[in-house]
Amino acid sequence: MFALPAKLVGQTLSGKVVSSTGQPLTGATITVMPEKITRPSGVNGTFRFEAVKKGRHSLRISFVGFKTVASSFIMSSDSLLLKDIILRAEEGQLQEITIKEDYQQLRRQQVSLSMDIVGADYLRRNLGGSLMQSLEKLSGIKTIGIGSGGSKPLIRGLGFNQVVVVENGIRHEGQQWGADHALEIDQFAAGRVEVIKGPSAFLYGSEAIGGAIDIKPAALPAAHTAGGSADLTAKSNNGLYGGSVNLYARKQRVFADSRMTWQEYGDYGVPADTIFVYDYAVPLHENRLRNTTGQERNVHLRTGWLTSQFQSVFYLSQTFSQSGFFANAHGLEPRRVDLDLHDRSSRDRQLPSQQVSHTKIISQNEFRYGQNRFDLELGYQRNFRQEHSRYVNHGYMPPVYPSEQSAPQTLEREYDKTVFSANIKNELVYKNHTLTIGASGEQQHNTIGGWGFLIPAFTQTSAGAFVFDKLKVSEKLLLQAALRYDLGRISIREYKDWFTSQSENGNSTYLTRAEAITRTFKNVNWSAGLNYTPGAFFLKFNAGSGFRMPIAKELAANGVNYHYFRYEKGDPSLSAEKSYQLDLGTGINAEKFTVALTPFLNYFPSYIYLNPTARHDYFYGAGNQVFNYAQSRVLRYGSELQLSYRFLNNWNASLAGEYLYTRQLSGAKRGYALPFSPPASALAGMTYEPNWERLLTDAYFTLDCRLTARQNRIVPPERPTPAYQIFSFSAGGKVKTGAQYISVSLQVQNALNTRYLSHTSFYRLIGLPEAGRNVILAVKIPFFIKGKSTS
Amino acid sequence: MKQISQFILLTVIALFTVACDKDEPTVDTAYPVIDATAAGTFPVQCSTVKRGEKFTFRAAFSDNMALGSYSLDIHHNFDHHTHSTEVSDCSTDPVKKPVNPFLLIKSFDIPENQRAYTATQEIEVPADIDPGDYHFMIRLTDKEGWQTLRGISIKIQ
Repeated sequence: MFALPAKLVGQTLSGKVVSSTGQPLTGATITVMPEKITRPSGVNGTFRFEAVKKGRHSLRISFVGFKTVASSFIMSSDSLLLKDIILRAEEGQLQEITIKEDYQQLRRQQVSLSMDIVGADYLRRNLGGSLMQSLEKLSGIKTIGIGSGGSKPLIRGLGFNQVVVVENGIRHEGQQWGADHALEIDQFAAGRVEVIKGPSAFLYGSEAIGGAIDIKPAALPAAHTAGGSADLTAKSNNGLYGGSVNLYARKQRVFADSRMTWQEYGDYGVPADTIFVYDYAVPLHENRLRNTTGQERNVHLRTGWLTSQFQSVFYLSQTFSQSGFFANAHGLEPRRVDLDLHDRSSRDRQLPSQQVSHTKIISQNEFRYGQNRFDLELGYQRNFRQEHSRYVNHGYMPPVYPSEQSAPQTLEREYDKTVFSANIKNELVYKNHTLTIGASGEQQHNTIGGWGFLIPAFTQTSAGAFVFDKLKVSEKLLLQAALRYDLGRISIREYKDWFTSQSENGNSTYLTRAEAITRTFKNVNWSAGLNYTPGAFFLKFNAGSGFRMPIAKELAANGVNYHYFRYEKGDPSLSAEKSYQLDLGTGINAEKFTVALTPFLNYFPSYIYLNPTARHDYFYGAGNQVFNYAQSRVLRYGSELQLSYRFLNNWNASLAGEYLYTRQLSGAKRGYALPFSPPASALAGMTYEPNWERLLTDAYFTLDCRLTARQNRIVPPERPTPAYQIFSFSAGGKVKTGAQYISVSLQVQNALNTRYLSHTSFYRLIGLPEAGRNVILAVKIPFFIKGKSTS
Repeated sequence: MKQISQFILLTVIALFTVACDKDEPTVDTAYPVIDATAAGTFPVQCSTVKRGEKFTFRAAFSDNMALGSYSLDIHHNFDHHTHSTEVSDCSTDPVKKPVNPFLLIKSFDIPENQRAYTATQEIEVPADIDPGDYHFMIRLTDKEGWQTLRGISIKIQ
């Protein structure tokens, strides 16, 4: 009488995937054979298959950085709960370029945009000065660099406010407005990083026009364990030394996890003894860029309550960094330097310098009922930045800094940003649909200080709601569609100069540098895509839109950026920046051979662009060139190509290429490219992975060559950047001492000490070469106080 | 394997088709030029001008397409905060505190569609200003917004 639907015929299979230390592994891939049904493990490492037929089956379990495990079971009429499946860590198995592992394959099969996923082990192998520099080998990813310790992400040539960075589920809100301000992220604390290349407004809202970088925390500790690890790092180029210590403990349901990171570095070296600021020769002491030294201190605490149905995790973190700016030029402005003072030590920080602290408090809650999941995330963050520089009376500023000014004489700029955010999301599984509905809101409060002015104080409130459906038509075909509505309001506070300027008729007035403006922006965004995976071959297609609310300086700036000799003028009537993009992904994932081609076509009807004009302004601009914020139509297209070939068991050859074309279709710079457009480049690598089980487990040796084409497609005030090629070498593995494996990785970056310029570097405009040879050593020593150890 | 090699061939063709820019209209990527060696140029690096007197600024500008505008800026360098953009450096007076330093900021138009232009401006140096080391900054743009800077060290006596 009660005819059950076909999909319910059969029994339930469930189990749990844990690491050899007993840590539950979320996101492992479990495949039931011979049906070839694949599911990821959920929170606490658990998985569940419905409708498993009676009889003998085999199971294949794999996960990023772990050795794949196969086992078999016999399904009887009852539901079956398997014993915990233990995966052994296998960090060295990861491929350098194409991070070929099943979790990534599975995630990619579920996302119709192009994406890359890397784990903590990948970051250690490719450790750079900052998280973004450690990701630079991924195709389509570049950084806008400043010095050795800071950089901003550039995804397919889009960066700044066009890329969203998410940490522990909450949007990271730093000071996105300048090239010389890095992300306040501790790369040692990152467990996994997902890089989405393409407009992901439907998930992240405003600003995710170029893509998103989603930083996930490390896996939660296993029940009834306690332990930790120590990461030690040293770099030859800037004399960096530092480390990060992690301690964790968990009972059944309660856990605590902490981390402390500390590093210190000196001025970095370049393959040059003299550089030219304009025509003026600046000799470099011991080939080092004066005053690029810095330090970083971070603290993270995490605690929570975990059950199979409910999980609540509380994060508290603070990152603090201090770093110097190159002393011989502040921006484009040549600066005279007291050589005795600066060259006394390569590790003492003088002016100009910056100091940033970023505090985050996040509560992440997850509730599971049936096959559904409810998420609630609440966040508070505060970003406090100070830029210190000697007072120089630019323009009409008084020749001597008035003592009655409240800001200290060396405090050029200060930004204080407080952000409250909340996200809610509900994931419902109904038949072969996975429907996610969610909403998010954010309130930002920004105040400014110091004697320099660049952006006004503002408050910003935004909210969005979305619905996202994944339809699994078959095991091979997945369709998805999303719709999102966003509403945002920005209120800019008026700013007047603290000094007077002289008009043509000789009158002195306090100029208004930002008008009080309130603007509201509404936007509807959508995305639709498909993933077709009939076997080794795969095909992805996605069409979507993205948008970005104009930021305070784009709307209201009316001030001079003296270090760049430009007078930046905002436009209060700007509309939201909008983008439409088509993405295609196709390739083959075979055992020994993989290829992936990911072309995209992107159109902006209203790209916001800081346009350098032919005019100078003597009054508001203090004689500087006028730069107007304007909007133009922009076309961008490009592609990444990744190839990897495994041969003779131990060898792997890989090639990753990328190409980007940008063009302004309207406006004053019609026919020109967009600024910071990365030139075409390719990364060719060869890896040897010997089976030295005793000596060095998971040993690898990689030699790679980065070939970068010249960039002639420039726009004022850029300069063409010549082609270059640089070689790097890396090697590593794991040494067994007692019960644990110590991971060791060694890199030689820019092995031939090649002098080259990076087109996307902040220092490109004054022609500073990139860092010379750099030998990087990274060691990770895990230890266990209680519970099982790695073996 | 045959399929794979066909696929590679196709992707390579696809990538090359995308990578070739055909018939791109040329855009101006050249900076305008401030000729430091043109006859009659004043001031030049390490020039001296006198308080209470006028001097004539003269410089030769050129561009491959069309010039934009220029601005002049004279500010003190008593604290030696910056150096010039020039190859040679001048001897400097000891560091001192400004009391009433000379400040001149002025911007000027250049007639439209000029490829070469000789700028001349008469500049009056007030008698009551502080003598000493000054910077004479010339900023020149072309029509497309390329800007060339020249920062010259001068002395006011």
